[in-house]
Amino acid sequence: MIHLEKVDRSFGRVRAVQDVSFSVPRGAVTGVLGPNGAGKTTIIRMITGLLPTTRGRILVNGTEVAPEQRHLRRKIGYLPESNPLPVEMSVSGYLRYRAKLFGMGHAAGRRAVDAAIDRCQIADVRRRRIEYLSKGYRQRVGLAAALLHNPPLLILDEPTSGLDPAQVAETRSVISELAGEHTTLIVSHILPEVERTCDRLLIFAGGELRADGTRDQLLTGSGHNRHIMEYRTREGSTADPLANIPGANRYAAQSIDNGWTRATVDFDDDVRDGGARLGALLATHGLTIRELRAERLTLESLYISLVEHKDGQA
Amino acid sequence: MRAVLAIASRELSACFRTSIGWVVLALYMLLSGLWFGLQTLQPGEPASMRALLDFSQWLLLMVAPAISMRLFAEEIRTGTLAPLMSTPVSDWAIVLGKYFGGVAFLFVMLSTTLIHVGVLEIVSAPDYGPLLAGYTGLLLLGGFYLAVGTFFSSLTKNQVVAFLATLFFFLILFFASGPGAQQLGAPYDKVLFTLSIQLRQADFAKGVIDTRHVVFFVSWSALFIAASVAATESRRWR
Repeated sequence: MIHLEKVDRSFGRVRAVQDVSFSVPRGAVTGVLGPNGAGKTTIIRMITGLLPTTRGRILVNGTEVAPEQRHLRRKIGYLPESNPLPVEMSVSGYLRYRAKLFGMGHAAGRRAVDAAIDRCQIADVRRRRIEYLSKGYRQRVGLAAALLHNPPLLILDEPTSGLDPAQVAETRSVISELAGEHTTLIVSHILPEVERTCDRLLIFAGGELRADGTRDQLLTGSGHNRHIMEYRTREGSTADPLANIPGANRYAAQSIDNGWTRATVDFDDDVRDGGARLGALLATHGLTIRELRAERLTLESLYISLVEHKDGQA
Repeated sequence: MRAVLAIASRELSACFRTSIGWVVLALYMLLSGLWFGLQTLQPGEPASMRALLDFSQWLLLMVAPAISMRLFAEEIRTGTLAPLMSTPVSDWAIVLGKYFGGVAFLFVMLSTTLIHVGVLEIVSAPDYGPLLAGYTGLLLLGGFYLAVGTFFSSLTKNQVVAFLATLFFFLILFFASGPGAQQLGAPYDKVLFTLSIQLRQADFAKGVIDTRHVVFFVSWSALFIAASVAATESRRWR
C-alpha cells in the first residue's frame, strides 16, 4: 500500500529525513514512533503529498506521490497533528463541506456524513458548533473527516495528543474499530498507545529509521538476553562458578551481603534456556540460589536505547 | 466547479459566523447611510448616487482588505489549510473559491445601499444608467481590491500583515498614479496615469462603461489571483 524508497527531505541545511525506506502492506496497522523532531510528521506530509521529497520516491497504491496526482488524495484520509478544525462551523456542516470537496453529490454526501458520524459516535453533537466541543469530541470529528470518503489508507498524526486519559481511551477504541478495514498509519511519541493499537512499529530518531518490525520481532532481535540471579557461595570456596557458562558472552558478579552475590549474565541471542543452564551450573557447584530470573526488555527500554544510541554517538 | 462553490459558500457563511463580517457590514452601512443622508438627501442635490459611490470606493479601500485578510492567513495560522490541501481539490479551485466567497460578501455589502436607491426613487426620479455603471465600477474595483488582498493573505499567517500590505499597496498605487505622476511629469506621467484607479472610477461614476476600464480591472484581478495560486502551490514545495 505504501512504499518509500531511499527518501530524503532537507530544509535548508537541515536533513529532516535521511535515506528512509520501508513498505506498509495493505490492511496493516502500523505505528510510527519517535521523539519530537524525529522526522515523523515530515514523512507523513510527504506521503500525503503536502510536501515533496528532496530525494527518493514514495508510492501509494503503486502510484508515485506528486502534487499533480490529485486522485491519490481520494485514497488517503489524513488527520493532521493537533487536529485543526474550522471552529465556527457545525459538526455536520463541516462534514458536508468536506463531502463536497471530495466530489460527492448531495445524496452520496449525506450518506457518507451519516456513516462517518455513526462510526465515530458523534451523533449527539452533530448540530453543535465545533468550538463548543470537548477535545475528545473534536478528535472524533477530525477522525470522521478523515474517514468520510472511506479511504483505503488512513494516516493519523498524534491522534490522542493533548487528551485526558478518558478521552484517550475513547479515541483509541474508535481507532481499534477502524483497524482491519483500512491500512492505518498512526504517528505518535506515546509508546503505550502504539503498543496497544498497532501490529507493526517503525521507530524513527534523528530523521532515520532505526527499527522496523512487530513488537516481538523488535524485542527478540534486540540482542538483549539477560538473566539476573543471587546466590551464596560456600565458605572458603575461591573458584568462580560462573567462569564457564555455556552460551554466555558476558557476565558481572558483585557481593551484596552476608556471602550473597548478585550476578547478571548476558547470553547469545540464540540461547533460549539461559535460566535452566544457570540453574544446572549453580547446582553442580552446590550453591544456594535465592533469585534467578530473565530480565524482560520492555518496548520502552528498547525505544530509549534506539533513540539514544546514535544520538549519543553524534 | 462544485468545489469552488463549496469553498465560496463556506467563506461567505464564515464571514457571518464570525464578528469581523458583522462589524464590517455594520460599519459600512453606518458610514454609507450617514454619507447618503448628508451629501445626497439634501434639498437641491441631484437624484444621483454619485456622491455615495465616490465615497464607497474610499470606504472599500479599508473594507476590502478587512474581508480578504482572513481568507488564507486565518487558515494558515490555525492549520486548517493542510486538511483543505489534502483533498482532491486543485489549488486554482481553492483560491477561486476563497476569492469568490469574498466577492459574494462584497456583493451583499454593496446591495445594502440599494435601500438608498429606493429612498431616491421615492423622493425623486434617479437616472438608472449612471447608477448601473457606478455599481459595475464599484464591483470591479472591489474585485480588484479583494484579488490583491487574497494574494497578500496567501503569503502570511498574520491577518494584520495581510491587511496592512493590501492597504499600503493601494495607497502607493494611488500616490504613484496621482500626485506622484504629476510631480514626475512627462514621459513617466502617461505610464503612471494608465494605472490610475480614480480616473477609471470617475468614468464609471459618469455612467460610462468603457471596456478598457473593465479589461483593466479584470486583468489585474486575474493576475493577482494567479499569483495567489502560485503562492498556494509553493506551499507544497516548501
